[in-house]
Amino acid sequence: MEYILKNGIVYDPANGVNGEKKDVMFKDDIIVDSVSDNAKVIDVTDKIVMPAGVDPHAHVAGPKLVVGRLYRPEDSRRGVTQKTAIERGESGFSIPSCPTTGYRYSRMGYGTVCEAAMPPLEAKHTHEEINTIPNLDIAPLPLFGNNWMVMEYARENRIDDLAAFCAAWMKISKGYGIKIVNPCGSEAWGWGMNVHGYDDSAPYFDVTSRQVVTALAKANEKLNLPHSIHIHPNDLGHPGNTGTTLETLKSIKDIKKSTAPTASKRDQTVHCTHMQFHSYTGTNWKDAGSGAPEVAKFLNHNKYVTGDVGQVTLDETTTMTADAPMEYDLYRLSGLKWANKDIECETAAGLIPCIYSPKNPVNTLQWAVGLELFLSIDDPWQVCLTTDHPNAGPFIRYPRIISWLMSSPRRMEMIENREVHKWAEKRTTLATLDREYDFNDIATITRAAPARIDGYTDRGELTPGCKADIAVYDIKPNEFDPSKNPEEVEKAFSRALYTIKDGQIVVKDGEIVSTKPSHTIWTNVTGLEDEEARIIEEIMPFFRQYYSVKWNNYKVHDHFVPNPIRVDVPIRQ
Amino acid sequence: MKTITFDQIKTSSIALELDELNTDAIYTWTEDDFAKYNVPIGNSRFPITDYFKITVEGEANSPDEVKMIMNGDMGRVKYIGFRMSGGEVIVNGNADLHVGAEMSGGYVLVNGNAQAHAGREMSGGKLEIMGNTKEFTGASYIGEWRGVTGGEIIVHGNAGKQCGECLTGGNIHVMGDCDILAGIHMTKGTIEIDGNVNRWPGGQMKNGNIVIHGKLGRLLEGFVENGIVTDPEISGKVYPGKYIQYTGDIAINGKGGLYIDAEKNRDKLSAYSEGNDEYISLGDY
Repeated sequence: MEYILKNGIVYDPANGVNGEKKDVMFKDDIIVDSVSDNAKVIDVTDKIVMPAGVDPHAHVAGPKLVVGRLYRPEDSRRGVTQKTAIERGESGFSIPSCPTTGYRYSRMGYGTVCEAAMPPLEAKHTHEEINTIPNLDIAPLPLFGNNWMVMEYARENRIDDLAAFCAAWMKISKGYGIKIVNPCGSEAWGWGMNVHGYDDSAPYFDVTSRQVVTALAKANEKLNLPHSIHIHPNDLGHPGNTGTTLETLKSIKDIKKSTAPTASKRDQTVHCTHMQFHSYTGTNWKDAGSGAPEVAKFLNHNKYVTGDVGQVTLDETTTMTADAPMEYDLYRLSGLKWANKDIECETAAGLIPCIYSPKNPVNTLQWAVGLELFLSIDDPWQVCLTTDHPNAGPFIRYPRIISWLMSSPRRMEMIENREVHKWAEKRTTLATLDREYDFNDIATITRAAPARIDGYTDRGELTPGCKADIAVYDIKPNEFDPSKNPEEVEKAFSRALYTIKDGQIVVKDGEIVSTKPSHTIWTNVTGLEDEEARIIEEIMPFFRQYYSVKWNNYKVHDHFVPNPIRVDVPIRQ
Repeated sequence: MKTITFDQIKTSSIALELDELNTDAIYTWTEDDFAKYNVPIGNSRFPITDYFKITVEGEANSPDEVKMIMNGDMGRVKYIGFRMSGGEVIVNGNADLHVGAEMSGGYVLVNGNAQAHAGREMSGGKLEIMGNTKEFTGASYIGEWRGVTGGEIIVHGNAGKQCGECLTGGNIHVMGDCDILAGIHMTKGTIEIDGNVNRWPGGQMKNGNIVIHGKLGRLLEGFVENGIVTDPEISGKVYPGKYIQYTGDIAINGKGGLYIDAEKNRDKLSAYSEGNDEYISLGDY
């Protein structure tokens, strides 16, 4: 089937198209530069046309989500809708059900999401959940930062073996890239401890976060992976953690980026996730302040680093992370119910509900720090829009964040009218930042940059040959001032006029009109098969002794991934 | 005044869900409107007139002017009076789950027993149950930490487990006995229990008051005895008689008040000892 999206105002930053009136054509599931006369015309005259959104970091599938849904039934009752002829019933606000997740992303015009934390031991279940999320391509990142084998290899600086291990484990878990969460800290949590700073050792392993992170970064580049290491640094959410964050990023500086074609799309060698949670000054919450200017300055001078923000949305949400000790700290602060999960030799996880109140000074500080990062990082290609869903807020708030970024008056109104606590003004520079994002910047931080950072070559842009993942929004940008109409911006980005996924119209006028099965994007490193087999053989005695499952039950078999998008990465050119 | 009468024709083994038919929604409805309405039952909908003969008499300009009378066994009819803000609902029979849940005004009377979650998360109005209720009467939704915030619940019979869980306002009066963990996690409001209480009232309560006129089975460790008080006045109401007063739950630095009838619970007094009847004379304490 051929289509023409006629006369839209196109924002396609990857191709340097900034608000040009033009047609976008696609045939079946691919964008093309011409179509036949039989093509169906969709009139989108003067409306915004962008590539479909790409979320580089969210928690949408996996065991944490299940625990969250089980222990927060009060969240599941929010947002309940009846089933329709097309949709299954929806439920949940911060931890929506799997189908709901797909529908809500589609309504916002998104087509791809990176599931940011998949424990290999629980990978099967993660993929089962992915299979029940419609309309999205999902790339799950296996967790490596607290894996016992990784820590052993890092301590002994066996980078080749570590690379083979990562390659094997991405195959076994059907994962996309290397995710690191509180390196060594989640392992320390198994002993009731945490690590503090970048050079603290994991108990009984005699290895530091620095060794683990740099070893994994070297392995990542050795494997020519499309995505860089994706790191959640130590000391998340602790006042004064800016130093740890910058130390972590500086340690990657001398690691050379792979020049292989598979890694050529991206510019970075490290992606720092939810930077907002890692950008605080002070020694405790009484004297805490914003480290955002310092972190932004670092990014502005170092192109090898990218980040996503993890913007606080001032909602009641559910925090869930493989940084289990941090969740325990949060539990001690808030007193709300807490769940903890241990994943044997790989990681841990914690969950608690969280109420981000605009009247709370700390929550307001977090809100302001996130916006400061957005507004202080000069190059929108280095920063992505996320809420670390659901940790800083549910992903359905992306349109609201866009409205804040596009409207300085709205931000000032919130500060001056005391919609938020005075700490936003007193402890951050937010009130002094009058920068406003334009639609091209928004297209960059929600589409082009995340696609480039994640290393996708087939999406995030409207180049002929790319997937026909397209969003149309009911805004006429040439007749509209987003700065003065933040509510209209939020409304329009919440309900896409059209969302097209793989050439199929899945949303029209903000409503789901069709669904399609999700795809799982995973990385298949080729050329290291012998090394991988040797590593697995070497590990097997350990595996049999310490894991509670058999090896054949551990692996994710092909039927768990019925719709794969396999990214083949040759290690030897 | 408008009177809408639901006379039951047949029952369903799968519960009917009446959350869309509160007084706020139907005060303008005619018999024809009801004839067109399909009620949710499980994952399907069926004509409500298959289950009820519905008679409408009079006119109403607001929910306050509506009186719903439901005749028959509503033991498989859920959400009666759900989210209503005014008017009157009289159930001449039993009621299923969530009767009066999230109501903010008006009056619901159940002339029978009510299933679990009666009066859940009410914020106003009055719910009166002439029979017994099951667990979570006047409680929060499962997992939620904010429960009833206002209004009044009166249970003439017994109440099940976790009555008044997470109570954050309003009053609950159970005239019969109460099962375990009444007032668990409560932060405000009053629970009055005329009968006996099984065990552990007020677990992790932060504030508010629980008054027990009957015999208490077991008390949690986190309650500190303050001695005996006579005719205590709690939230503007005087409770005649002598009560042992406790403060708790100290496990969470709670400052709630627990008052239990001193005469019936003399074994709870710290000064009590077997065979020393003089010492436990309440007058001397």
